[in-house]
Amino acid sequence: MSNQTIKLGAGLRQDCDTISVMKAGTLRLSKPNKYWVESSHKRYVPCVEDTVLGIVVDSKPDNFLVDIKAPTLAFLPVLAFEGGTRRNIPKFEVGTLLYVRVVKANNSMNPELSCMDDTGKAAEFGPLKDGYVFETSTGLSRMLLSSPTCPVLEALGKSLSYELAVGLNGRVWVNAASPSTVILVSNAIINSEFLSGVQQKIMVEKLMKRLQ
Amino acid sequence: MGEMEVDRADGRTASQLRPLACSRNTLHRAHGSARWSQGDTIVLAAVYGPKAGTKKGENPEKASIEVIWKPKTGHIGKLEKEYEMVLKRTLQSICLLTIHPNTTTSIIVQVLGDDGALLPCAINASCAALVDAGIPLKHLAVSICCGLTESGSVILDPTKAEEQKIQAFAYLVFPNSPLSVLSKGSSAEDDEPIEHGTITSVTHGVMPVLDYFNCLERGRAASAKISEFLRRSLESQTK
Repeated sequence: MSNQTIKLGAGLRQDCDTISVMKAGTLRLSKPNKYWVESSHKRYVPCVEDTVLGIVVDSKPDNFLVDIKAPTLAFLPVLAFEGGTRRNIPKFEVGTLLYVRVVKANNSMNPELSCMDDTGKAAEFGPLKDGYVFETSTGLSRMLLSSPTCPVLEALGKSLSYELAVGLNGRVWVNAASPSTVILVSNAIINSEFLSGVQQKIMVEKLMKRLQ
Repeated sequence: MGEMEVDRADGRTASQLRPLACSRNTLHRAHGSARWSQGDTIVLAAVYGPKAGTKKGENPEKASIEVIWKPKTGHIGKLEKEYEMVLKRTLQSICLLTIHPNTTTSIIVQVLGDDGALLPCAINASCAALVDAGIPLKHLAVSICCGLTESGSVILDPTKAEEQKIQAFAYLVFPNSPLSVLSKGSSAEDDEPIEHGTITSVTHGVMPVLDYFNCLERGRAASAKISEFLRRSLESQTK
């Protein structure tokens, strides 16, 4: 292992000559050289290029202060929107739910967010209206966003139509035409955390039978 | 001093610990929680944080830790404040405080049952709760209570009745030994391995120095068992 450059991700740190672990979890390797510890918690540690769901807590002249379940509040610059100028600053009330991207994240500063993608387009980022938000663990959010599609979402999509936004910080937003559909989708997602793929499909089938 | 047969009320030998049980993620709203029991001493620890902002007297360049001790019955008095201070200092030495500066992590310890060795049980519960919350730690802490009888022999993990009878006892906290993978070409460790250190020691009663060192040795040997149990329990609950 000597003479190799490796990248240390979340949960690992370098202590002089040794690499030691900071959190309990599974050690993962992504070829060629990136190692990290994967674990699921109720709080979120911000990483660059993550898409998260934040709730506006306050607004300042230059930034919105957004809560993303991280150790500190995140800043969303007032101009970080597609075609954003000083004349058309959006007005977000306290409590608005936003789908944003993390642009800067290091431990000594507040994380910075943006409502644009790399090229400067809006690309689905921005406020989410209606619907229902609930909190999950970061592990469940990662499972919901994994590809191929998570079994529970696929099974629900076969018989229901719903809209879903998943933040890697452990927040999920669900919207559908009727409240009963929203409740069913949310309950199915929350119950699927510790089930295997087959168990998830069976659970969804049982829920659908009860609906009829 | 030879290993003398000690008569303990519950039939344990001098070095035998009570049955340990640990369950994590027991509280829904807390960011991390753990319930640790040693026999009839049961402690529930909840961790909230890290949250932004530090208190007035704390250093903003480091994370600060706040401990609240809730006894099973009665008002909060000096004994609870002492436990809070010992717990805070112990946890400060195992947490990596520079990772999230200017934040506060709150740990709330609720005593559910007290049958001796209360502070060690609380330290073990808090450590498991910190792991559950994902707070970055240097290593884990395992804690044990060693009592010294009149005959000079050391008994481990005394119950409340035993604690009141014996001459002196000590609560000891040791770092758990890390599992490491060393590359073949590395030189031998020059410094003492980490498991020879002691994080915290709180004594009650009067004991001779040699007996105290004896307690430390016995405690360190037994802490390996608790460390093994904690590691197994954490592994089984990690997906």
